[in-house]
Amino acid sequence: MEVFEPQQYRSSLTPIWCPGCGLYASNGAVTKALANLKIPKEKAVLISGIGCAGRISGYSDVYAMNVLHGRAIPVATGYKLARPDLTVLAAGGDGDLLSIGAGHLPHAVRRNLDMTVLLCDNRIYALTKGQTSPTSFNRETLTSEVLNNPVDPLLDVLAFMNTIKTGFLAQGLANKSEHLAGLIQEGISYNGFAFISIQFNCVTYNDQQQFNALSKNAFILEEGKEVELPDGRKWVHDPSDYDLAMQLMMVSLAERPFIGVIYRGPKKESHLEATKKIIKEKR
Amino acid sequence: MKKHLVVGIVGTGGDGVMLLGGLLMETVARLGYTASRPQTYESQIRGGGSAVKVNISAEPLLREKDELDVLICFNWREFLKVQNEFLVTENTVVICDEIAPEGQKVKIILFPFTQLAKELLGDARPKNLVIFGYLVKILGLDREVARKIVEETFAGKKYLDNNLKGFDLGRLRSESLLNYGLQLISSKAEPKIVLHGNEAVVRGALKAGCKSFFGYPITPASEIMESMIPRLLKTDGVGFQVEDELSALLTAIGASQAGNKTLVATSGPGFSLMVEGLGLAVQDEIPLVLADVQRAGPATGIPTKTEQGDLALAVYGAHGDAPRVVLAPYDIEGCYRLTIEAFNASEKYQVPVILLSDQLLGQTLFACDDFSKKEYYAENRLPPQESEKGKYRRYKITKDFISPVALPGTEGFTYQTTGLTHNEKGEPASDFQTHQLMHDKRWKKLLPLRERQDLVKIFGNPKAKTGIVTWGSSAQALVSAVLNLGLENKIKIAVPELLFPVPHTALVKFIKETKKLLFVEMNHSGQFYRIVRAWLDLPLPKKTFIYQRSGGKPFSQAELQRCIVEFAFPEVMK
Repeated sequence: MEVFEPQQYRSSLTPIWCPGCGLYASNGAVTKALANLKIPKEKAVLISGIGCAGRISGYSDVYAMNVLHGRAIPVATGYKLARPDLTVLAAGGDGDLLSIGAGHLPHAVRRNLDMTVLLCDNRIYALTKGQTSPTSFNRETLTSEVLNNPVDPLLDVLAFMNTIKTGFLAQGLANKSEHLAGLIQEGISYNGFAFISIQFNCVTYNDQQQFNALSKNAFILEEGKEVELPDGRKWVHDPSDYDLAMQLMMVSLAERPFIGVIYRGPKKESHLEATKKIIKEKR
Repeated sequence: MKKHLVVGIVGTGGDGVMLLGGLLMETVARLGYTASRPQTYESQIRGGGSAVKVNISAEPLLREKDELDVLICFNWREFLKVQNEFLVTENTVVICDEIAPEGQKVKIILFPFTQLAKELLGDARPKNLVIFGYLVKILGLDREVARKIVEETFAGKKYLDNNLKGFDLGRLRSESLLNYGLQLISSKAEPKIVLHGNEAVVRGALKAGCKSFFGYPITPASEIMESMIPRLLKTDGVGFQVEDELSALLTAIGASQAGNKTLVATSGPGFSLMVEGLGLAVQDEIPLVLADVQRAGPATGIPTKTEQGDLALAVYGAHGDAPRVVLAPYDIEGCYRLTIEAFNASEKYQVPVILLSDQLLGQTLFACDDFSKKEYYAENRLPPQESEKGKYRRYKITKDFISPVALPGTEGFTYQTTGLTHNEKGEPASDFQTHQLMHDKRWKKLLPLRERQDLVKIFGNPKAKTGIVTWGSSAQALVSAVLNLGLENKIKIAVPELLFPVPHTALVKFIKETKKLLFVEMNHSGQFYRIVRAWLDLPLPKKTFIYQRSGGKPFSQAELQRCIVEFAFPEVMK
């Protein structure tokens, strides 16, 4: 009988990540999810961009591609279109997916192909030694001397993704890796475009206290469990409720990080399915 | 009786100029003539002028000519705007219904087509059909065939009847019809197909087994996307209009890596965006075909006019040394055949191949033989042996530097690839030896292409000591000029279809015994001339000249003939 263990999905390379980096746990969560879902490694595809998070494809023994900065999503799109039989994952950091790669996000959501995007968000540009990213918090506390655009407001990616009706939207913490593995499993199983934000810390360039506070403040969303918003409003969490998800997204990450499945929409036709239907009808 | 004939049609948008040109084109094609119909139009969609030329030949080879034999003029004001490209002489027969402005020395036939349409059909709009009927008579074309084409064109439309009436009306009208000697000799050939270069690229790609297409609308390449995508979706292929050209190339990389033969098509501005992805495809040895339908540049340039200015970008575009293959068709058959060659080269050498077409080739309609009836060989990327299972190395160094490629989804062959310099296993590496080795691999695997003599076409007298080198759409005008001058025994012409790696063997053979060499190309800096100079091991003859100018108007016969005579026989000019 075939056995699926997380270790099988690891390549023989030693990661370049710093000791204590949240990417180890994130990588572990991915391999755990694949093992739990019993996906043969040759049927899994992992495409990553550039940055510390971008290295993840090199450490995975699947059909892996490390592509250009910000471009994991278009490459994953082409891959999935050509091979709908394969499980396609795309991964990148907050610079990769939200700065240079941001232009691809709305179109990926609209196309709604069955793939999973993992945003590894440590709120800084780590590989290039500490520049501001679109999600960096208090810039004054960054250890790097380099300050870029200190006055731009934060890019609230989850609010953005929810507004454009991403089919499956979730957030996890790298230091809650079991829970994270579960989220990744759900994202892969979701028949449509899934976007999962993984909050972790850069032990070398970012503020550990900041992350600890984030982690401590996190509220775990569970279907059927009561949610309390900072302004006192309460209701029962239901991931299929889009309006509730919008309300949750009004709260910033710094104020109250919501962990878990934020929104899981009904299955919608992918762009490809819809186009093929129209073409067939025109025949 | 005429062997070659050029008909010009000018009017305002809404006069039916394009339609008339189309009907004429379909008719001569059906009758077996060779023909071409370049497009000339302003960027505005409505209200601007509309002008069309149809070049007809009873011989297989089209002969270019600057002056019109026949001009159909709906509107003299519009004609005056294009009179530099629609040249008339005292031999040109002009069919119009307005009095000509002063100074036009032509043969006028005042044919009140608008009035006739209004009075006898109750509608001015079929006036172009009235002219069509009339034209068919003057040119001596088979009227039953022409009428059938009118029927086919408007089948099922409510104005079919009126249009047929208009055609019959024009046919029967003899408005002081003297013998203008405009009748075409019979073609004696099989009916021809009509298509433009962009469509030929689509058909070539499908023939080669292309399964994916990604693109973004851009003049003058959008036709490729619009034709390709529905055809792929109707079969088991996949095609998308994506959010920008950057994404187009990267999506193509994903699809190709996953196993599909993939095409992207764009023009200069889109190509600039794709350069980033091109580097990745070269580094990771991912097959890909990129069709660039060149237009006048740089930046936004002139979207509707041709130029051959993207060669340097095609050869060198992307940072670092990223060698790739560049092919350039010079005629409609080449647009089809070289697309297949492009896929074959990209699969065999696991490299992106750039197909350099241009607006003139891409959007001119040609009546030509149906080349799809021939057999073409289709190459596929080299698969690994079963014995490599479990120890597969994607970038294994082999004798010819081409590594077998595993198909994703295959058990026991998982591998990684990266934009970083990588070793044979595909793992990131940063040492000099691996870096140099991989550079060697990517360059040396392409070297056999330098021997390809079949991809350099020779015209004229191969033994002549005076030679001309040209490429792309310039070739047809250039060859016509040599033929029109009657110099085909004194001059040899080389038209390389492979531009990079430079087809070394063939060009050395051509240039070795050449005493006088002329390069002709339509870009301001003489890009191919400089690339040949840089890459050819043989020094060019002392008497080497270059005729280089920007796009913005096609090469005229007057311009090229003067250039050729000045070059080949300067003593004549003195």
